[in-house]
Amino acid sequence: MSSISELYDVTWEEMRDKLRKWREENFRNSEQIVDVGEELINEHASKLGDDIWIIYEQVMIAALDCSRDDLAWSCLQELKRQFPDSHRVKRLAGMRLEALERYEDANKLYDSILQDDPTNTAARKRKISILRAQGKSSEAIRELNEYLEQFVGDQEAWHELSELYINEHDYAKAAFCLEELMMTNPHNHLYCEQYGEVKYTQGGLENLELARKYFAQALKLNNRNMRALFGLYMSASHVAASPKVSAKVKKDNVKYAAWAASQISRAYQMAGRGKKENKCSVKAVEEMLESMQITMS
Amino acid sequence: MSMGEVELSCLAYAKMYLHASQFPRCSVNGLLLSSSAAGGAVCITDCVPLLHTHLSLAPITQLALTQVDVWCSQTQQRIVGYYQANACASDSSPTPCALKIAEKIFEQCNNAVLLMIDGEKMFPGCRVPPIVMYERKDARWALKDKHTIMLRQWEETCSIVNQLFSSGDQALLVDFDSHLDDITKDWTNQKLNAKIMELVSPANGNV
Repeated sequence: MSSISELYDVTWEEMRDKLRKWREENFRNSEQIVDVGEELINEHASKLGDDIWIIYEQVMIAALDCSRDDLAWSCLQELKRQFPDSHRVKRLAGMRLEALERYEDANKLYDSILQDDPTNTAARKRKISILRAQGKSSEAIRELNEYLEQFVGDQEAWHELSELYINEHDYAKAAFCLEELMMTNPHNHLYCEQYGEVKYTQGGLENLELARKYFAQALKLNNRNMRALFGLYMSASHVAASPKVSAKVKKDNVKYAAWAASQISRAYQMAGRGKKENKCSVKAVEEMLESMQITMS
Repeated sequence: MSMGEVELSCLAYAKMYLHASQFPRCSVNGLLLSSSAAGGAVCITDCVPLLHTHLSLAPITQLALTQVDVWCSQTQQRIVGYYQANACASDSSPTPCALKIAEKIFEQCNNAVLLMIDGEKMFPGCRVPPIVMYERKDARWALKDKHTIMLRQWEETCSIVNQLFSSGDQALLVDFDSHLDDITKDWTNQKLNAKIMELVSPANGNV
């Protein structure tokens, strides 16, 4: 089997830099990380200097994701040898136990970390992840809420909580979490768009108008967000079709919907250019826009 | 085939399986389609993978249902069911969201099926299809008798799925969510469909 460096004609430095990029952007492309990282470790360990330890950690986590316990174990051993009393390494050992579904043992490990250091957020979050993996959503939600009372700035935790609430169909609470996220990340178009989706799902005229506003905001931040564009189209269409709105509101929303429809058409025309296989999706969208126009007028 | 029987084609099964495999940490869902006429048995001939995020949020689901509806009328197919694979592999019971969408499909198709993928049975060498089917009976969704579910050429279907993985073609699968991330990607999966049909042996025209 040829190596990564042969297959892709890359040097070990390029492989090391790729790993760093994936680390910094928090990508979870575990199979790629395992392929590149394993080769780097096996063939070029001596050249990596102190980088090797963070690479062991990154590869170990990716290996757990790919059920490569052999690789995860050997990475863990190297880290244990180098950092014998480290909580960070202990947490990795716990993650391995989680991957093996030995949740009780993993919890014991995390509890021992927390006994030593009650402020260790990583261990607390792992315990919450275990609850999630076991399907104990209400407990995970409760623990996460308690965690956020202490660590109110933890974006990752707010987002995780919003996902949990969405799964439980508790849209009001999901909206609250997204509001926190939008406040601290006002330029993030994804949070605006997700908020729009939650409001749309809650339904009712007021929520639909709110949804429309947030889809519009998402588009202002990123005019290529297709979900926001479709969301704007659908929410404006529904508001315009509502018998409860004034003539002016109806007129405005018809305008917004028409604008969104033209943007959607344009985007699909551009996407469909030259690609035969996209003709199906382009046609489907065109017909859909047409049919929805009919029900609106 | 008689009333109450459901036939699942290789194409539909392969794409569902690929969809669930592509997003092992997410719940995924999709629609089951039939190109056969209504009445009698249900022949699931194809599927459209839909979402891998926020299955319970309305806008994108509504959008996808509308678009698939349009595409079906353009291609003489009907939506005859819904499938879902839960993120938590040990729990293959239908979620409220699954029941809701299945209910909507049942309004248009009175022998609609709800198919849950059983994550625990998705390992190489598993001898049983990792699926659990439900049908509408007495105003609720009841477990379907396994003997009324036909998966013709099961061994061949398994081998085709394995071939897709070893050739790397499983990465060709596009679901509606991925399409929205990049609208140049084709959620009708014409390319992947062609590859799968190539692998299906020509002697078995109806797989």
